Amino acid sequence: MSSISARRLAKELAEIHSEGCPVGINLVKADDFTCWWFTIEVMGESLYQDEKFTLQFRFDSGYPISSPAVQFVVTDGKQAPIHPHVYSNGHICASILGNEWSPVLSVVAVCVTLQSMLASCKEKQRPVDNDRYIRHAPDNPKKTQFHYDDDTV
Amino acid sequence: MKVTVKHWHAVAQWRWDTGNDDDSGDGDDVCGICRVAYEGCCPACKVPGDDCPLIWGECSHVFHMHCLLKWISTTASKQQCPMDRRAWVTAERKV
Repeated sequence: MSSISARRLAKELAEIHSEGCPVGINLVKADDFTCWWFTIEVMGESLYQDEKFTLQFRFDSGYPISSPAVQFVVTDGKQAPIHPHVYSNGHICASILGNEWSPVLSVVAVCVTLQSMLASCKEKQRPVDNDRYIRHAPDNPKKTQFHYDDDTV
Repeated sequence: MKVTVKHWHAVAQWRWDTGNDDDSGDGDDVCGICRVAYEGCCPACKVPGDDCPLIWGECSHVFHMHCLLKWISTTASKQQCPMDRRAWVTAERKV
């Protein structure tokens, strides 16, 4: 008896294995249907030349009705990109991970969106409230009520 | 030559009429929410067919009814179509 999320994720995984990921995105591990890791790098000209980041997806049994918990990995010597929407603990303020999540989105679609978020970055800086946020941030970024105040970066 | 038919097997196939003239390839006719074929059933059901029907939006998007209702019942959905984020309005079934 597999859950709804497991069936949908099995389909996504099969697609990744048969068609591969978009350029710059690679599957690191997907040993089960609760936690997947990807590496993500920005192709072409950008502020993140030669930098490779690791993205973690955590799924609950309600996926894809409920959004995945997505963040950059900041353990094992890995670091989150310096970006106005990415906190130093790896949490990401992006509307599609929160109030604009849609069940027709997919893991790969989220990776591509975050890749282009990095690609269009004009200035490498942390969110203004970074220090305050990471002091009290919950383990799961889905528990944070982000304010999506700036669509331009 | 004279041929006498002794017995025969009828084979039938059914499809939902989604209104999309994509009869050529049955490649992409899946529910965007569960990614299972329209003619399959939603993950909560065991038997495809009338017990697990499709639902049409006025925006023209089609889903398994059970998948769409599960989404619409969440506050996160804001009662919007998952495809275009317009307010979901169920369309009259066009037969």
